[in-house]
Amino acid sequence: MSLGSSNSLPVSAELVERLGWLIRLRWLAVAGVVCFLEVARRVFPVRLGLRQLYFTIAALAVCNILYWWRLRRLLRTRARAVPPWTRLLARFLLPPPPGGLGDIGDAGQAAVFANLQVAVDLLLLAALLHFSGGIENPFLYFFIFHVIIAGILFSRQATYVHASWGVALVSVVAAGEGLGILRHFALGGAWAAGAYRDPALVTAQLLVFATTLYLSAYMGSSIADRLRRREGEVVVLSMDVAHKAETLAAALDRVSQAERAKSQYMRKVAHELRGPLGTIRTTMSVLASGAAGELPAAAVELAQRAALRAGGLAQVTADLLALSRAREGRLAIELAPVDLAPLVRDLVAEARVAGDRAGVSVALRATGEVGQIAGDTAALRELVGNLVSNAVRYTPGGGTVEVRLARQGESIVLEVEDSGIGIPEVDLARVFEEFYRCDNARSHSGEGTGLGLAIVRAAAEQHGGRVSVRSVVGRGTCFTVTLPALATAPRDLPAPPPV
Amino acid sequence: MSNMAKILIVDDDRDLVAVMRLVLEREGYRVVDAAGPGEAMVKVEAERPDLVLLDVMMPDATEGFHFVWKLRQRAGAFFAEVPIIIVSAIHDKTELRFYPDSGDGSYGAGEYLPVQDFLDKPVDPADLLRAVSRALGLVRKT
Repeated sequence: MSLGSSNSLPVSAELVERLGWLIRLRWLAVAGVVCFLEVARRVFPVRLGLRQLYFTIAALAVCNILYWWRLRRLLRTRARAVPPWTRLLARFLLPPPPGGLGDIGDAGQAAVFANLQVAVDLLLLAALLHFSGGIENPFLYFFIFHVIIAGILFSRQATYVHASWGVALVSVVAAGEGLGILRHFALGGAWAAGAYRDPALVTAQLLVFATTLYLSAYMGSSIADRLRRREGEVVVLSMDVAHKAETLAAALDRVSQAERAKSQYMRKVAHELRGPLGTIRTTMSVLASGAAGELPAAAVELAQRAALRAGGLAQVTADLLALSRAREGRLAIELAPVDLAPLVRDLVAEARVAGDRAGVSVALRATGEVGQIAGDTAALRELVGNLVSNAVRYTPGGGTVEVRLARQGESIVLEVEDSGIGIPEVDLARVFEEFYRCDNARSHSGEGTGLGLAIVRAAAEQHGGRVSVRSVVGRGTCFTVTLPALATAPRDLPAPPPV
Repeated sequence: MSNMAKILIVDDDRDLVAVMRLVLEREGYRVVDAAGPGEAMVKVEAERPDLVLLDVMMPDATEGFHFVWKLRQRAGAFFAEVPIIIVSAIHDKTELRFYPDSGDGSYGAGEYLPVQDFLDKPVDPADLLRAVSRALGLVRKT
């Protein structure tokens, strides 16, 4: 199950992915700085050390190319054994991975590489600043971006180190320029000429700068920490879910097996009961007929009652067998293409015989080419037969039963509607249960095992379909069966065996 | 009534055999019975019945069918023509389907059973008598 595998990248993989991102970001920065410089010198009234600036940017670009090349080598040789000092370094430089420190692995090299990149970035940024006004340049605060990136990628300690490195670099530039050790590239224009020499101003700037950088380091690390912790929780949660899903699947398996065992047992019992019940019924009806000798009327009546009860039981066992057959289903290879229309026509014709006797009209409306379904003819006969005979049985004389068969897209829809006694709302949900008979059905017609609809539902489900019912007491009932039609053209399939 | 037909009942349910015997003998038929296919084959040879009532499910699904085929394959017009009525449920757990031989060759081998009629269990005495006289009448017609 795919959920069982780890959902988090090991730290080294995460880092390597981020390295690629960092390198791409740097190209963006290079392009950005170049554009800005071009615009700035034309639009803003400032003087810039353009030669030095472009030299620095070129250095940045060269570094980036080197990084890119190094990264490719790193990706190719990831499986090498890791010397202990890189492991130690990794532990210091990298954030604690969500799943524990187990997978530091070759992260040592990647960690050093990444930290180096960021440190060099800071150096070059300091250089850029130096060549464009030093402490006067508002772009001073771009250091924050690097510190935040460090906070995301590295451990808290490493991030503070980078922040300190940034503060140190800027302090060196500011102090150097202020004390005259380093050349000052005055921006000119609106910027005050001597601001960089004012110790109070410079100190104030440095203090705010340092505070900002350390705060950024703290915030970046904290946010990244929280994210990583959440990630860890998600991993644990998803493993837990995967485990539960496995347990559920196993439980479902057991339940299905139990269902199958139950159905098989039911079939065996019904089969055993069948013969003897039939014999009892036959014996009783022969007795009642006087074939074994004239019986007093009372005895005849008793024998007839016994015959009826035995016959009822025999019917129950036959229904149980049909139900278990429908439930246990057939193997897919045993299903054959079945033409539904002629099957329905046959069963309607059979029902018409009983209908005529009871004064109930039975009509069939089959519209158009209905098509075939991959199925078991016997089960389908049970399905349709039960619905139609039920409809006739529970419709008082003078009523109507209409059977409709039509193709709707990928499905075949069979509707059996009657104008009979209907099913009370409280019973509607239970009407497909085994042995369930609602009260009005029982009083309308004593015979009936309560298994017919269970058979209908099992047969429908066996064919990948479903059955539903709607009804109004006293007005009638409509059963709707939807079955998936066979996709291929009927002509391509071998003829079904005769039924 | 000595010219009344002789009927062989093949069924392992002794009680049912007793009841059917009662019904048939009351109608004047002579009845012999066998409890299984082996005994049945012997009795067919010895008694040469005019009709065989065969329970197809004794003791499991296929023995009855095999018996029919074995009987029909024996040499002699008698075996090919003696009417057989299958007594068993049609809508049964057995997956085999069987039909009376329509005689016009419309069924392929394996699709039909060369019998003359079938009766549902539980057996209704009136149905039984009707089927028996129909089957015997068929023979007499030819």
